[in-house]
Amino acid sequence: MLFLLPNFLGFAVFTAIPVLWSLGAAFTNWTMSNTVPLQWTGLENLREMLHDTEFWLYSLNTLYLMVGLPFAIFGSLLIAMLLNQKLRGMVVYRTMFYLPTFTNGVALMILWKALYNPDFGPINSALSWFFHALRIPLEPPAWLLSTHSLFALSPERVGFDAKQFGLGARDALIIMGVWIAIGGNNMLLYLAALTNVPQDLYEAAAIDGAGRWKTFWNVTWPQLAPTTFFITIMSFIGGLTGGFDQARVMTQGKPAGTTITLSYYNYIKAFEQVQMGYASAISWALFAIIFVVTLIGWKFGSGAMGDV
Amino acid sequence: MKAFFALTFLALIGMTAIAWSIAPDAHRDGKTELTWCSDDNPMRRPQIALFNQMNPTLRLELDPSNAGLEKVIVQSIGGVGPDIFDCYSPFQLSAYVRAGVAWDLTDKLAAAGLDPRKLTWPGLHVDAILDGRVYGYPTNAAVNGIWFHKDVFDDAHVPYPPRGQWNWPQLIDLAKKLTVRDPQTGKVSQYGFMCDWTIDYTQFLMQWGAKFYSDDGTRCTLDTPQAAAAIQFMTDLIYVYKVSPTPTEEQAMATTGGWGSGVISLFEARRAAMAMGGRWWLCSMRSIPGLKLGAAESPVYNERIFRAYGKATLINSKSPNREKAFAFMKYLASEPYNDLINKQADGMGPVMKYSETDKFLHDPDHPEEDYNDVWRNLMKDAQPDQVSPFVNGPAVDRIITKQLDLVKMRAKSAAQGMADATREVNEHIQKQLKHDPTLRQRYEALTHTPVHSPVQ
Repeated sequence: MLFLLPNFLGFAVFTAIPVLWSLGAAFTNWTMSNTVPLQWTGLENLREMLHDTEFWLYSLNTLYLMVGLPFAIFGSLLIAMLLNQKLRGMVVYRTMFYLPTFTNGVALMILWKALYNPDFGPINSALSWFFHALRIPLEPPAWLLSTHSLFALSPERVGFDAKQFGLGARDALIIMGVWIAIGGNNMLLYLAALTNVPQDLYEAAAIDGAGRWKTFWNVTWPQLAPTTFFITIMSFIGGLTGGFDQARVMTQGKPAGTTITLSYYNYIKAFEQVQMGYASAISWALFAIIFVVTLIGWKFGSGAMGDV
Repeated sequence: MKAFFALTFLALIGMTAIAWSIAPDAHRDGKTELTWCSDDNPMRRPQIALFNQMNPTLRLELDPSNAGLEKVIVQSIGGVGPDIFDCYSPFQLSAYVRAGVAWDLTDKLAAAGLDPRKLTWPGLHVDAILDGRVYGYPTNAAVNGIWFHKDVFDDAHVPYPPRGQWNWPQLIDLAKKLTVRDPQTGKVSQYGFMCDWTIDYTQFLMQWGAKFYSDDGTRCTLDTPQAAAAIQFMTDLIYVYKVSPTPTEEQAMATTGGWGSGVISLFEARRAAMAMGGRWWLCSMRSIPGLKLGAAESPVYNERIFRAYGKATLINSKSPNREKAFAFMKYLASEPYNDLINKQADGMGPVMKYSETDKFLHDPDHPEEDYNDVWRNLMKDAQPDQVSPFVNGPAVDRIITKQLDLVKMRAKSAAQGMADATREVNEHIQKQLKHDPTLRQRYEALTHTPVHSPVQ
């Protein structure tokens, strides 16, 4: 116990006590103001959250930004399978794909901001050339400056607005997120899992005359189920708590709040508007959502894992 | 292994004890150390050096890493806050006062003959004075005029803006002549005029006669024809007169920042012939070689009125050094400090009389800056942003900025944007009232309307 004490003290002071404090604060009107006496308000913050249009709007933004998760997960699997070949120089390829994960996140975001430059960015330059070459009467999207989205989400209310159909800031963040995630830790996890698939299963499949697709579907994919389950759960958690860095560095939540996610909204409420009680409530609501999603995932995912 | 952990633990305790014993004493060399939470502007170094020189028993040090509102409040309440800290808006002042960390200096400043209400620019008082009580001293003053590139005007054979008062149609005439568009691609390489929407919109509102709030501050009043016309005019500069960039064009031109944050750098790069900005832009522009700058007053519309802004410095009421920190308030009111600010061009000095001098008008180190009277004249007619005690400032900023975004990208009309902003701000006021009993009482006394509170 004595040896654990320094670590335990650090954990207690810097993690456990603040977390418990925030749980208590979620049921108060805490604003750090002398004129608003600290009061126990029960579920008032939760009730306010349910009627808070911004909360729902930014929850929707958060969910929309998670649209890229399946693409990121399957992209990681695809890259991992490509990098699992026995080729010369494979270590170099693997390093190249993992490189974005080493790179400073802010630097990547600034780079992508330049790529999305509506007039001079290489993405729009390529799109312009493509449209021009095929004589397609379309203008490239304004990316980070546009409130449009592929689901035509309204920027001001939870709902749809046909005028908002197109590619906009949220889609730009999704594309960037997929690019970053594809070659990241998920790829490494898949790579490790692929190397652990018993070779005799592949040999048995080959003897049975299975083609590449059937081998993948009946051997590789089931063997990767635990890893896929883990990656999916972690990606969901990352998606629900994510979006803060991109909003701070690339858009400041603009245009018209379309890139504000729940984590950024939490920051705004706590540190810009000094509504600590309400911000704590948002944090715990987010925790509850993540907890429920994980439980649901565990319930269905563990069944799939049991078949392995 | 046990011995290893035990030794490590003992070593850590030992090092902690050593660090504790050699930690700098707040009173080392017989000097009292004061901490100033402010931004890390390079101009702060000379300002701090001058203070230390004028106060040999004190040593002022800058702490830029803890300058956030919530950090100052939490640290001050915890007894480890700064001795003095900056306040950038009436909302921040209100938050500091309500948290009990802003020291009431009304009587001390009056006794020292330094009442800022009499000595400093009126436009700055909102950052230091709340409900008649003085909690700090203005640190610097700013107002926006029109910067222009003399060589760009010369090359285009266009006369400079007039020296005194002028109007927006005159600016548009000049800006049209100075907007350079490629006839083949239609792309603009140089705009006639740029401004930062998120900062400058309030000046347009003021000049068009719009009011942000009712006189008692109980409701937002931006849903008026005046407010709609002001924002419509800003939109027309982009889409009708085509002298200012669209959001897309602005982003395309920006090398860093974007969304308005790069107006200074775009102007420095001659992407605009004229730009709306303050004297403090010189802090950056003086270091750019080859700029030939001129400055004119901001044009007027219906009223000769301009937007004043700046910051104030407050003393932490919980600081054990608060009496000694009062020396900083005296410093802010002193001639050497005001002369330094005026010379640095970190805005203008807060005390009015020090801008009425020849050394303010003519800096021998910068003889080309023959426009200092412009800022002084603008400051005389400058007023602060209208504020309401019933709103949370940053929350309102977000509401307005969102609507301005939508108007600027023509997703909605100016009238609709201002109407929606008004509705949202008024809903926000009602939400605030439910949670703050003091505000609620004040509101009910003003409006004679009871507010239902969920928490009694």
